Amino acid sequence: MSTDLWTWIGAFLTLMIFSFLYKDNPFYKFAEHLFVGVANGYYIVFYWHQALKPNLYEPLKSGNFLYLIPLLLGLLYFTRFIPKISWLVRLPLGFMIGWGAGISIPANLQAFIFRQIEGTVVTPGSFSDGYEGLWSLIILIGVICTVIYFFFSTEHRGIFKFGSRLGIIFIMLGFGASFGYTVMARVSLLIGRIQFLFGPWLGLIK
Amino acid sequence: MKRILPLALCLIIGILMVCQFFIPHPVSTQFNSIINKWVVVLSAFALVLGIGNLTNHHAMTIKRRKPDWQYSLVTLLSMFLMAIIGLFFGIDEKSLYQKIYLNILTPLGATMFALLAYYMTSAAYRAFRARSLEAGLLLGAAFVVMIGFMPIGQFIHPQFPNFAEWLMRIPNMASQRGILLGVAFGSVATALKIILGIERSWLGGRE
Amino acid sequence: MKFFQSLTRIDRRLIYLILTVLVILPFFLKFHLPQNIMPQTKRLYDFIDGLVPQENKAALVSIDYTPQTMPECHPMAISILTHCFKKRIPIIGISFDPQAPGLAIEAFNTVVIRLNACATTKNDSIIYGRDYIYLGWKSGRIAALMEMGEKISNVFPRDYYNNNTDSLPLMQRIKNYRDISIAIILAAADYPQEWLMYAQARYGLKLGTGLTAVMAPKYYPFLQTGQLSGMMSGMKGAAEYENLLLKSGHTTETGKAETGMNSQTLVHLLIIMLIIIGNIGYFFLQQKKEH
Repeated sequence: MSTDLWTWIGAFLTLMIFSFLYKDNPFYKFAEHLFVGVANGYYIVFYWHQALKPNLYEPLKSGNFLYLIPLLLGLLYFTRFIPKISWLVRLPLGFMIGWGAGISIPANLQAFIFRQIEGTVVTPGSFSDGYEGLWSLIILIGVICTVIYFFFSTEHRGIFKFGSRLGIIFIMLGFGASFGYTVMARVSLLIGRIQFLFGPWLGLIK
Repeated sequence: MKRILPLALCLIIGILMVCQFFIPHPVSTQFNSIINKWVVVLSAFALVLGIGNLTNHHAMTIKRRKPDWQYSLVTLLSMFLMAIIGLFFGIDEKSLYQKIYLNILTPLGATMFALLAYYMTSAAYRAFRARSLEAGLLLGAAFVVMIGFMPIGQFIHPQFPNFAEWLMRIPNMASQRGILLGVAFGSVATALKIILGIERSWLGGRE
Repeated sequence: MKFFQSLTRIDRRLIYLILTVLVILPFFLKFHLPQNIMPQTKRLYDFIDGLVPQENKAALVSIDYTPQTMPECHPMAISILTHCFKKRIPIIGISFDPQAPGLAIEAFNTVVIRLNACATTKNDSIIYGRDYIYLGWKSGRIAALMEMGEKISNVFPRDYYNNNTDSLPLMQRIKNYRDISIAIILAAADYPQEWLMYAQARYGLKLGTGLTAVMAPKYYPFLQTGQLSGMMSGMKGAAEYENLLLKSGHTTETGKAETGMNSQTLVHLLIIMLIIIGNIGYFFLQQKKEH
């Protein structure tokens, strides 16, 4: 059994959260609110030391007055609390949204659209290696049918309806496989906690 | 003015960021570098806003003595205590700040997520019904992956793990790619609409 | 009729109890089930194993998981760091998740202490600054990813321990992505997508990733196109990598991921059984209702 006070604190907090499985209780509520508070305190300190101080405070302190522009834009966020000039909050929002939209267009096109279409296209070379040609055809059909299923601008009739039906089959297979992986993910987290309780705390397992 | 100025700023920054992707000239990379640093600062200010909202919400709960107001006190006290410890007593490896992170924040966060295993098991038992062909396919695929990727899959049939792998690599991949393409096209379309001022919901308000 | 009704009404607390027992049991009844290795894990392993130590090349490891996802991702970090250090591939560690730095330091310390315990000379030892550095966390992920393509020390002027980055011996040889053999992202969120969009698309950086199992199915399209050079998926991927390291002699025992797989097997069987029981009860009740 551990003699470290911090390990005991961690173990008790773990058991407090697990107590919710029986029913909601004050211990769980306390632990939940403690988590929210400590997490936010953590972020405040972290962002000061790692974001604001090196990227704003220190450049301004060393005389780089170009950083007055992001400082001013950042302070404009708080104008949302002053009704008369609350429209000024749109300026930093416009900057951030314009930046995000601008960088995402070429990146999406190159990484997601062009490369993925390239990987879907079936060429004579695809058939050179055993069954790979057949799998490539299935992938091509699956991708097209999945996209057809999500295309709602036209009624699913005739060939569209057939494609849509095939698409839902691929989607169900995909979601089923994802569910299988999700089970593994969730159980892993529980295993980790049990390993902590029986290992570092109780010392029953190595 | 109240709408035109932000829209113009969005348009200019958006077009400049698209163009700089294709221009390797030092002026373009320098511009990209400066804008990126400004974005870092602005992201931090957005967090300040979030913390302010949280503090305001919990302070109101305490002030008005709403149900469970005592827990709001716990939240605010722990937040300010953690902030004071980190801001004034350092954040290096052996600091109290790191000890609290490793022994309070880490177990709490990890256990919150560990509860999901229980909820998922209970939900799968109660709600997972093969009511139709599609639901049956979903269940079947889930079973194949769950058994196939575990060591026990090999004992059922030596090719079972390979079948599970095929399921991931071909049908799953096809559907994920279809969804990915749809999302990517949608993202590009939405980004263009925002830059060109067609999509203006982010402005909010009437004026 | 009552029997089939009871099949659909098992108390959830009983299910929780059985689940807990099945997770705990394998820790005391030690049994070893053989692992099959998934191709994408083998690809990542082979890529790193095929790296040759070069003067001006390093691996970049982005440790971006959180305490919540430690059981899946921490063993991956331990395995990747061990593999790179055993191959004498220098490592530059970074983080983009605010909760990751503490875990990154723990991973580095665990591996370095273990390897240095077996080292006999200074050349064999893993020394900070020469063999690895940890640059800490950076906000503005996308901006940082683009900027690192030009110069890494512009993004991280100081390392986690507040040393001037350019003064570190490793960073005098490594400037930007051109000097990085592979970037391995160990993530619990969608950070690899941003690496694909802004680092790989623009600079052609080789990427590998270790993901939580929830996210893994989404990244199969990128494996097929070669945008990802390999992938570890969840605790299973971590266990597979541990097995590969054991088989090749880089380690002498497996880690926590391998021991967790036995519990995984039992829980998966429980869930499948519960779903089947629930469906049997449901179908028989439906039949009765129709009659």
